[in-house]
Amino acid sequence: MFGYYVQTALRSLRRTPVLTAVLIAAIALGICISTTFIALRHVFEKDPLPGKSQSLFFVRLDNWDPARAYVAEDPKSLPPQLTYKDMRALMRSPIPGRQTGMFISRMFVFPPSAKVRPFRQTIRLAFSDFFPMFNIPFQYGSGWDKAADAKPEQVIVIDAAMNQKLFGGGNSVGKTVRIADRNFKVAGVIAPEWQPSYRYYDLAQGPVPPESIFMPFNLTPVMQIRTSGNSDGWKDFGNTPEDFLNSEQTWIQFWVELPDGAKLRAYRDWVTNYVRDQKTHGRFQRPLHVEINSMQDMLEQFGFVPKTVKAMSFVSLLFLIVCSLNLVGLLLGKFLARVPEVSVRRALGASKVQVFWQHVVECEVIGVIGGAIGMLLSVAMLSVIAKVLQQANGNSISGVSLDLEMVGVSIFLSLVAGLMAGIYPAWRICSVAPAMQLKLQ
Amino acid sequence: MHIGPLIRAMGRNRTRFALIILEIALTLAIVTNCLNIILDERKGMLKRSGFDDDNLVYVAAAPFGTEWKDQSFVDNIVKVDLRALHALPGVKNAAATYFLPWQGGGSSGTYRTDGFNGLFQAQIYPTTSQIFDTLGVQIVAGRNFVPTDTPANPNDSSKVTIISSALAKKLWGNANPLGKVIASREGTNPRTVIGVIGEFYNPYSWPIGDFVLFTPGRAWGPTGTSYLIRTEPGAMKAVLAEIEDCLIKVNPNRVMRTNVISEVKSTFFSTSRIAISGMLGLIIALIVVTALGIVGVTAMSVAERTKQIGTRRALGATRGDILRHFLAENWIATTAGLLLGVAGAYGLNLFLLSRVSDVKLPWQLVVAGMLLLWINGLLSTIPPALRATMVPPSTATRSV
Repeated sequence: MFGYYVQTALRSLRRTPVLTAVLIAAIALGICISTTFIALRHVFEKDPLPGKSQSLFFVRLDNWDPARAYVAEDPKSLPPQLTYKDMRALMRSPIPGRQTGMFISRMFVFPPSAKVRPFRQTIRLAFSDFFPMFNIPFQYGSGWDKAADAKPEQVIVIDAAMNQKLFGGGNSVGKTVRIADRNFKVAGVIAPEWQPSYRYYDLAQGPVPPESIFMPFNLTPVMQIRTSGNSDGWKDFGNTPEDFLNSEQTWIQFWVELPDGAKLRAYRDWVTNYVRDQKTHGRFQRPLHVEINSMQDMLEQFGFVPKTVKAMSFVSLLFLIVCSLNLVGLLLGKFLARVPEVSVRRALGASKVQVFWQHVVECEVIGVIGGAIGMLLSVAMLSVIAKVLQQANGNSISGVSLDLEMVGVSIFLSLVAGLMAGIYPAWRICSVAPAMQLKLQ
Repeated sequence: MHIGPLIRAMGRNRTRFALIILEIALTLAIVTNCLNIILDERKGMLKRSGFDDDNLVYVAAAPFGTEWKDQSFVDNIVKVDLRALHALPGVKNAAATYFLPWQGGGSSGTYRTDGFNGLFQAQIYPTTSQIFDTLGVQIVAGRNFVPTDTPANPNDSSKVTIISSALAKKLWGNANPLGKVIASREGTNPRTVIGVIGEFYNPYSWPIGDFVLFTPGRAWGPTGTSYLIRTEPGAMKAVLAEIEDCLIKVNPNRVMRTNVISEVKSTFFSTSRIAISGMLGLIIALIVVTALGIVGVTAMSVAERTKQIGTRRALGATRGDILRHFLAENWIATTAGLLLGVAGAYGLNLFLLSRVSDVKLPWQLVVAGMLLLWINGLLSTIPPALRATMVPPSTATRSV
C-alpha cells in the first residue's frame, strides 16, 4: 500500500510542477538553514572521545586569595588550573588508572636541514599517560614510556605535519632534532587521521587546534621551561624559576582517568583529604572546594560555542516552522481542489484513514525530496563557513561538515517539516463527505 | 468600506488567516531578535580605538642566540633596531611595546588609588615616550615620558604613569588627575599620574577596554623584543617588505612575527562578521518566504472567490472596492499577526536571554520590525489583489 501511495504522490506532484517546485524549495531552504546551524553547533558540542570521555576527569582546587574569589563577583568560582606543587602531590595518588598534568610552552625548533630557518613552536609538556588517555593514534612508534617520564629523557612525539616539515615524512622514529638548547629523539609520529576539531584536552583558550610537538613534563624544572599559556595568581612570587614552581601561581591543567563511580568517590575523598591536610599547613584558606568534573561537564562549562551560533540554531528551527506553515496554505489549496476526485474514491470504498495516509505520504515525499536538496545545500554552506573560519583566524577547524548523526537529524527534521505542513490539509481532505460531493457533479 | 461583511468573510476562511497570522507572528519574533543580535555585534565593531589603525604594524622578535641572555646587550639592540626602523623609508615612528591593539586582550592588573572607593582593574603596558606618536594619540594634559623616567634597574618599578582620559574620569570624575597616585592592590609600587591621553580603546575579556596605564619601562628582555611601527599613509606594503631584513641585519639570531593591525582587527571581529552575515541571510530568507506565503495564500483566495468577485462587480463594486477589500483583509490579518508577534518577540528574547544571549530587546526595534512587516504584508498582497480586480463582472452570469 505504501508503495502505491508514493506512486500516487509522485504522479500528483508531477501534475502541478510549479507548485511542487515551490513546495520543495521551501522545505529545502528551511532544512538547509536549520541543518547548517545545528551542525555548526554540533561540531563544538559533540563528544570528542565517544566511549572514553566519561572516564576522564578534570581536577580543580580552590587555592585562591582568602579575601577574594577567583572571579571576584562569583564566590563559587575557582581557578581552572593547578599549582605545580599541588600537581606533584596529586600525582602521588594511587587511585587513578592514568593521570597527566600538562601545559604549553613556545620553544625554538632547529630543523635538521640548514635550509629551513629555526622557528618558534607551541609545544605541549605532558606525562606518558597523555597518549593512551586521549586515544591518540600513532603512525610510527608510540608515546614515550614511564621510564622516560621519570628520568626525564629528551624524547618527543610529533604529529604527521611536523614530521613532514622536519624530516620530509617517513618513519622518523629515532631521528633527532634540536629544540631550545638540547637534542630530542623522536619516540613516535601521530597518525595523520588524528585531526580533532579542537584540542579537547585543553579548553582554556577556545577552539584551538592541537599542538604538533609533545615533550615529557619532567623536563620543565630541568630546562627551566615557562608556560606560554595562561598563568593566574593572586600572590607575589619571586624571580627565580624555583620560586615560580613553589608559588601559588596556577598554570597546569590536570586530568585523571577513573574507570567507575567507586574509584571516582575514592579519588574525591583522597583529594579532599589532601586539601584538608594542606589547610593545616596554612594553605587553601578559602572554603573547601574541590571540583572533579567529567570531560562532558567541562565541555559544557567552558562551552565555546559562540553565543550567536547558539541563538542561530534555535532561530533556524523557528525558520523551518515558518517554511512549513507556508506549505500548509498551499497544500490546503492543492488538496481541496481535489475534493471531487476524493469524494468519488470515498464513495467507491476508500476509508477515511486511507485517504488521510495517502495525502500524508504525498507531503512526506515533498519533505524527503526537499530535505535531501536542503542537506546538499547545507554541506556546501558548511564548507564555505569552514573556509571563512580558516581565513579569519588562521586555525583550520576540521570536521565542520555533516557527520552521520547530523544527517540523521536532518532527515528527521525533513520528515517533521513534511508532517507539520501536511497533517492539517490531509485531515481536511479525508473528512470530505462522499455523498455531498457526488450530488454536485 | 463595510468592516462587518469583511470580518464575516474572513471568518469563513479561518484556516487561511490563522496561517498568515501565525506566520507573521513568528517572522516578527525572529526578525526582531536577529536584528537585536546584529546591532549588538555591530556596536563592538564600530567602536574606535583612537589609534591610526590602518597604518600600524607590530613586529615581535624572539631570539635564539646566547648573546641575548645579557640585558645590556638587549638594551643596546633595541636602540639600534629602533634607529634602523626609523631610517626605513615610509616609517613615521616606532616604539618598543608589548601592546598589540585589537587582539582582544593584553596585560592588566588590579590597582587602588585615593579618592576611588575599592580596587579597579586596568590594562598596563611598559613602553617609552615614542608610543603615543606611534599610536597616533594626543597627550591632552600633562607631559610625555622622558628617558630618566625609566628605572635604571630592570627589576625596579616605575614611579610615573600616563593614563587614558576614560580611566581618569572613572577614578576621579572631573577633578584634575595630574599628580594623583595609583598603587598596586597591596598598596605598593605607587605611580604618579604625569599625563593623560585622549582616546584609548583595546577590547579585553573584562570591561576594561577604555582603561589603561602606560608606564615608562623596558618592553624587551632576554626573551625578545616587540615594536609597534606607524607608517606613512599608503606605505604599509613597502615597509612590510623591509622590516624583517632590517632587523635581521641588526642581529640575525632571532625569528620575527609581523602583525598588521588592520588584519588583527579584522581577525578579532571575524566571528562577529560571520554571525552578522548569517543573521542577515536568515532575515532576508525569512521575509522572502513570508512574502511568498502571503502571495500564495491570497492568490488562492482570489481564485476560489472568482465567482463572488464577479458578482460584486456586477452589483456595482468598482475595481478599487475589490482591491481595497483584499488589502483590508490582509491588513487585518497582518496586524493581528504583528500583535501576536510582539508577544512572540519578547518571549523569544526571554528564552534567548536565559540560554545564550545577554541583550534585551529594545522596544524601538520591535516597532521597526512591525513597520517592516506591515509594508512587506501590504506589498505582497498587491499582486494577487490586482489580479482580483481584473475579474470581469460578466463572470457572475457564467455557470462553472
